Amino acid sequence: MKTYESTPNFAVAKRRVPLAKIDASGSAAARRMGRVLATADSRPTQISTFNSSL
Amino acid sequence: MTGPAVPFREIVLKVHSRCDLACDHCYVYEHADQSWRTRPKTISDHVIARTAQRLAEHAKTHALPSVSVILHGGEPLLAGPSRLRRVCEEFGSALSGIAALDLRIHTNGLQLSPRYLDLFDEFDVRVGISLDGDRTANDRHRRFADGRSSHPLVLKAVELLRQDRYRHLDLGILCTVDIANDPHAVLDALVALDPPLIDFLLPHATWDEPPPRPDGSPTAYAEWLLAVFDRWQEEGRPVPVRLFSSVLSTLGGGPSLTESLGLAPTDLVVVETDGRLEQVDSLKSAYEGAAATGFDVFSHSFDDVAAHPGIRARQLGLAGVSETCRRCPVVRSCGGGLYTHRYSPANGFDNPSVYCADLEALVRGIQARTSAAGVSPSVADRDELVAEQHDLTRTLLAGLHDALDGRGGARWDEAWGLAGVLESCEEGAAGLDRVLAHPYTRTWLLDVMEGLHAERPEAVGHALRLASYVAAAAVRSGLDMEVAADYRDGRLFLPTVGELRLAEPGEAGRVRVRAAGEGFSVRREGEGERIVRRGAGSPDWLPVRHFTAGSAPGFALDDLDPYRDCFESPAAPRLGPTDAEAWAGAVGRAWELVEQAAPRQAADAATTLTTLTPLVTGRSARRPHGYGTVGLVMTGDTRKLARALLRGLRRAGLRALLDVTDLYALDGAWEYRLPWGRNAKVPFSGLLAETYERVGLSFLDPEFMDGVPEALDMMEGAAEPTAGGMRLLSSLRDEVGGVHGTSGMNTLMNAVGHELVR
Repeated sequence: MKTYESTPNFAVAKRRVPLAKIDASGSAAARRMGRVLATADSRPTQISTFNSSL
Repeated sequence: MTGPAVPFREIVLKVHSRCDLACDHCYVYEHADQSWRTRPKTISDHVIARTAQRLAEHAKTHALPSVSVILHGGEPLLAGPSRLRRVCEEFGSALSGIAALDLRIHTNGLQLSPRYLDLFDEFDVRVGISLDGDRTANDRHRRFADGRSSHPLVLKAVELLRQDRYRHLDLGILCTVDIANDPHAVLDALVALDPPLIDFLLPHATWDEPPPRPDGSPTAYAEWLLAVFDRWQEEGRPVPVRLFSSVLSTLGGGPSLTESLGLAPTDLVVVETDGRLEQVDSLKSAYEGAAATGFDVFSHSFDDVAAHPGIRARQLGLAGVSETCRRCPVVRSCGGGLYTHRYSPANGFDNPSVYCADLEALVRGIQARTSAAGVSPSVADRDELVAEQHDLTRTLLAGLHDALDGRGGARWDEAWGLAGVLESCEEGAAGLDRVLAHPYTRTWLLDVMEGLHAERPEAVGHALRLASYVAAAAVRSGLDMEVAADYRDGRLFLPTVGELRLAEPGEAGRVRVRAAGEGFSVRREGEGERIVRRGAGSPDWLPVRHFTAGSAPGFALDDLDPYRDCFESPAAPRLGPTDAEAWAGAVGRAWELVEQAAPRQAADAATTLTTLTPLVTGRSARRPHGYGTVGLVMTGDTRKLARALLRGLRRAGLRALLDVTDLYALDGAWEYRLPWGRNAKVPFSGLLAETYERVGLSFLDPEFMDGVPEALDMMEGAAEPTAGGMRLLSSLRDEVGGVHGTSGMNTLMNAVGHELVR
């Protein structure tokens, strides 16, 4: 059995955003993380749902 | 039961009860309820102060991060600038330090002037305006009492709000539908004003007072709205439209964005000018007193009013709609329609909406027009799924960095900074990708983030393992970079690389790790450098081993990662060399059987599966992990092992999809009886998971196909699947049809019998 990979089988991500520039606090990121994090809050804050106003 | 199912996050504050227009479609003055006649015209200081105090108390009790206060009427600008200033000051002061305050006003725009807008700018009050479209459309209803047009004055208000100095306050335009209007002219007129948002409202109606349908069509309103939708699509969706966004959101598995659609619990309450607490005021269209609750801000808290049956009914989700609606697959998007529109004198609100046929046609129409665009590419493309999974792990790492908010101190900052340095060059990025894509890296991240959320004291310490991941990436990349990493219990673990015993059990400390030749060097403070060759195992150095199986490129046999214990059986301890060889051999034989029986699944897995983890018999709690691993309990029975492998692949594949896209929503609202003989009822997620697994296993054992067509029928007729879910069900049907059709079945039977004929 090998103990060393000869050819790593993972290609460099095509659409890399540098870690430091990932917006992890925006609503899109919150929704993405919410799928795997049981503790995430799904209701976006500061939206109005009242039918007779925006 | 005390307190609301969902706390109130929106307060509609009636600051003035009269209006300077006489729109003939207005629910406040022209419909059944005439309570406005007895209300004070303007909200008093006392009501303002008491409401602000109640809201602050509510926000504090429920730890709300923000609350919205919508200034409404009548026409709220008639309250005058000084009254509105008082409102802003009172609420700002009461909520200060408790919750963010989101102030909004909705006006007909007639009185809007710099005097008001300067005030709104000072308190960040955002402004929405009512306008029903082009002049003809608008003047059909929105006129002064003497019949004059309001259109020029409203346009003037919109123009004022669009000026650079006020544009940041602009919320957009609210338009009430009249199907006598030209839908394209209405949309074009609104879009020409360049608002940030538009919403279309169905005119208030009930089963007692149905909406006009001049041509008798039961779907006239849907046809009108779909004409607008088509125009909106053709023009490239120039402005967000809340109604359309809400339907698109719910079709995709997201939340509804308006109380008029969807099953999200209503979280708003109305405060009248006299301090009475009411349900949504559109109920005034239903009957006299329909919105009343009997509560007021002087004697009752917001939690008290939440106990009112009318409020509670709109917080019950699926249980709050009529029986007809509960059986309808469109209900997840329409939610039974606006509560008001369900009213009939015979049944109260226990009915579908008077717009039911319109809502169904609208939802299905939008679904038909957008189903392809609404599907994540990851559903049909494995490479996309791998990329989405990788993006998710990186987002979680960035999320952890934010969540730590400095609590990781210098050690976190150093590791985080080095990760950034690594990914700035190709070799470093490849090394970091490999480590972050490791399935158990996800397990670590989720464990730490949930630990931080639960304020577990050890969570920050576990977050600092980042240094080990960065060190592993640096070693893999071969870059000349030194990384300080922690060893625990005498061992340094480098994810995906291996484990080095450095000290006695129980000892902890830091070492400096650097890539060196075909391995790495480790230096402890006060000691010399130690060189470790990655490929050469020793009593102190336990490398992660790799093996090949069939025509697959190779897998890691990960029996070291401390986060690998995430399967329903416990992870095996490190295998000795003989056991590891035997394990790899057995898996290799099982893999070859899978390749014969299910070549497409094997080919898919060969490009996505990176890791196999040995398990031992017993029960264990499943924990989440990233894409690309399967855990297997050793058995000498190749067929049994092949079945476990295939089952693991199917579970990992579906889980990976669910991690990055919404395949269904409202899971658990309905139950389904499993068609394969058991009497158990399961939610949609359970039915999908079992069906998905059985389709995969049927390539090895055809009896797993029993009941699958019935299950697919059930799921395709269900409310839960999103556009992505429907696409997955369609591909499951293709998978079933492609192999279990006449010719496909022959291939299957021969493959299972180890007699490949083609």
